[in-house]
Amino acid sequence: MEKKRLYIQAAEQVSIQQPLSEQWMEDPVCYQDTFVRAINPSFRDYIPANEVRRMGNIMKRALVTGLKVLNDTGIAHPDAIITGTGMGCMDYTVRFLDTLVENGEQTLSPTYFMQSTHNTVSSALAIYTKTHGYNVTYSHGGLSFEQALFDAWMQMQLGTISTALVGGHDEMVESHFELLQKTGYIGVEGMVPCGEVAMSMLLNSDNSQDCLCELAGISICHKPTMDGLKRQVERLVHEAGMTMGDVSAVMTGVNGKAANDDYYMSVADTLFPNVPLLRYKHIFGENYTVSALGMYAAAHCLKRNAVPPFMYDTSRSLSCDTLRSILILSHTEGKEYALMLLKRP
Amino acid sequence: MEPIYITGAGIVSAIGIGKTETLASLLAARTGVREMKYLPSCHRELPVGEVQLSNAEMMRTLGVDNDPRYTRTALIGRLALKEALEEARLTTQSEELKKIHFISATTVGGMDRREMLHGKEPDNNLLHAIIATHNGADCTEMIADYFGDFASLSTVSTACSSAINAIITGANMMRCGLADIVVVGGAECLTLFHLNGFNTLMILDHEQCKPFDRDRAGLNLGEGAAYLVMETEASVSSRRVTPLAILSGYGNACDAYHQTASSPDGEGAFRAMQEALALAAMSPADIQYINAHGTGTPNNDESESHAIRRVFGDSLPPVSSTKSFTGHTTSASGSIEAVICLLALQHQFLPVNINWHTPMENGIVPVTNAKTEKEIRHILSNAFGFGGNDSSLILSKYDS
Repeated sequence: MEKKRLYIQAAEQVSIQQPLSEQWMEDPVCYQDTFVRAINPSFRDYIPANEVRRMGNIMKRALVTGLKVLNDTGIAHPDAIITGTGMGCMDYTVRFLDTLVENGEQTLSPTYFMQSTHNTVSSALAIYTKTHGYNVTYSHGGLSFEQALFDAWMQMQLGTISTALVGGHDEMVESHFELLQKTGYIGVEGMVPCGEVAMSMLLNSDNSQDCLCELAGISICHKPTMDGLKRQVERLVHEAGMTMGDVSAVMTGVNGKAANDDYYMSVADTLFPNVPLLRYKHIFGENYTVSALGMYAAAHCLKRNAVPPFMYDTSRSLSCDTLRSILILSHTEGKEYALMLLKRP
Repeated sequence: MEPIYITGAGIVSAIGIGKTETLASLLAARTGVREMKYLPSCHRELPVGEVQLSNAEMMRTLGVDNDPRYTRTALIGRLALKEALEEARLTTQSEELKKIHFISATTVGGMDRREMLHGKEPDNNLLHAIIATHNGADCTEMIADYFGDFASLSTVSTACSSAINAIITGANMMRCGLADIVVVGGAECLTLFHLNGFNTLMILDHEQCKPFDRDRAGLNLGEGAAYLVMETEASVSSRRVTPLAILSGYGNACDAYHQTASSPDGEGAFRAMQEALALAAMSPADIQYINAHGTGTPNNDESESHAIRRVFGDSLPPVSSTKSFTGHTTSASGSIEAVICLLALQHQFLPVNINWHTPMENGIVPVTNAKTEKEIRHILSNAFGFGGNDSSLILSKYDS
């Protein structure tokens, strides 16, 4: 099957950096804390005040990023809305669970339950924009966003859709952060802070409009050997009409925790020993779908044809002479890997 | 689309462990909805469709050590997946499995474990913290790991339509040429979280649910799992396996109306069914049976009746909801009902709509007699979720 070319037309974020802006590229906000809440934009500029009051943070952030992307691209009703979220509406879920456990089963109200399912965000985007097309949510831990993007990619290859609003969204609450810290997933010595994520982008198989970059391919695999991963990378690059030498930079999810970073460095050292490495989690923090912000950052770098100096991984004294493409590598506990290849159109 | 062959199916629900028990219950019109036995809820007044095994019994059946980390969802899921893989003659712990993609659906995931430990965290240990941070992917992994390494794992979560959407994602992977074999479906156990959630919405019937009845008063929650092994034609012939049925079409649309209610005209359901028929290149007259979402809530059954009438008009085939057998198994319902449809195709019967007595105004009059007048060749099955995530699929008889 001849591969269709897909384009990221716009991408917006709410995170621990300045919201709905690329100010982080010049002037990133730095944190010393272990857990940082997202900087919320003025929701009322996008959503009526009476509705803002009834929504949890994750939903408000997802809506403003989604609505801004749709507004900026002039696509009122995308063919599909596909969302990735590791924990969904965590705040409302925990509130309902807390009340259930602390006060028993007799005094519950439906408010928090109604917004507790993982698909709340994706369906809120549809309800808000009256979009009846394909609508699905993936909730697969640290690869939730990649799976959502993979679905959009497949359906565009099949020709069943030509536009998709794809997002990665996760919030965090104090009690869950503490548990994650206890398990060593997050908040350990030397690690980037735990952040919050809202990223929406518009994927289009038509490039007649201005775009940030091309999504040249995506691949997901489970427990690959290094050889197996190498073959996946080579196939991805080949199918994008590129050679391995055309990969200008590899973006990894290093976060300062050795158990996580070692997998990235092992892959980078084996498959890309002489390629500049980029990182993003020291800017955006750690959370299940933070790779959505990695992709957003890579897309904006490609658009500007420039990488902010603080994004280079200092373990290598290499920087990009020319920026043609960025390969984004994600893994979860070294078991599942995802590759996303972006290039300048 | 090119036909996709179903070569293995496994099912676990309140009406049985495996297809043989499930078929027997369906033919005997014997419900699995009964008094609560395993869920530690104070709402004893609410009948539920529980899998009639404790976690410890499931662990014994599976031959695994008693481990508090196992979610009930994962244990039920393993039982169903085991049956599906065995029927498709797929070898576990093998190189073969490493080419097969596993896509599983859940929403509550490991919530039962979180409930068990929640509020006890101050004095808990690392094991408890690990259990309390379960996410959907952990359940999928827990189900899959028992059998070996799959090529990829994926978790779909669209509330009550999750399992059909897992089937759709798997089918799309095959149509894109990215997989020869996929294993798809969903698993969900009962939890205090969603039992109480649905209870606060006041949509749980205190008696056995009565889908499409004038006096219907809500749904009964259930639990279970079901998985399908789906293969390309080339894979079927190279492995020399006999298909059980064919996936002919599917559709996914959003009602875009309300977080927890369906629109009066059933727009999302209408679109999902239309899309499934279009992809299967079929007309409404080609369908001999509809397995409705039919939860038994006043809202769903009215909205779905409208949507079905809009699609089928004068060529309305027999319709029923099997939720009065299994209870509403939420994220697993799409694949559980797909296996029920598969049994109906293989054994040529109409699953009856038990507990139905009185027609609703302008509603669907469901099937109460299992005997079919026509050969059942194609079945349409619906699953609708919170947020208006509506999906349909069409299963067809395989003629050997």
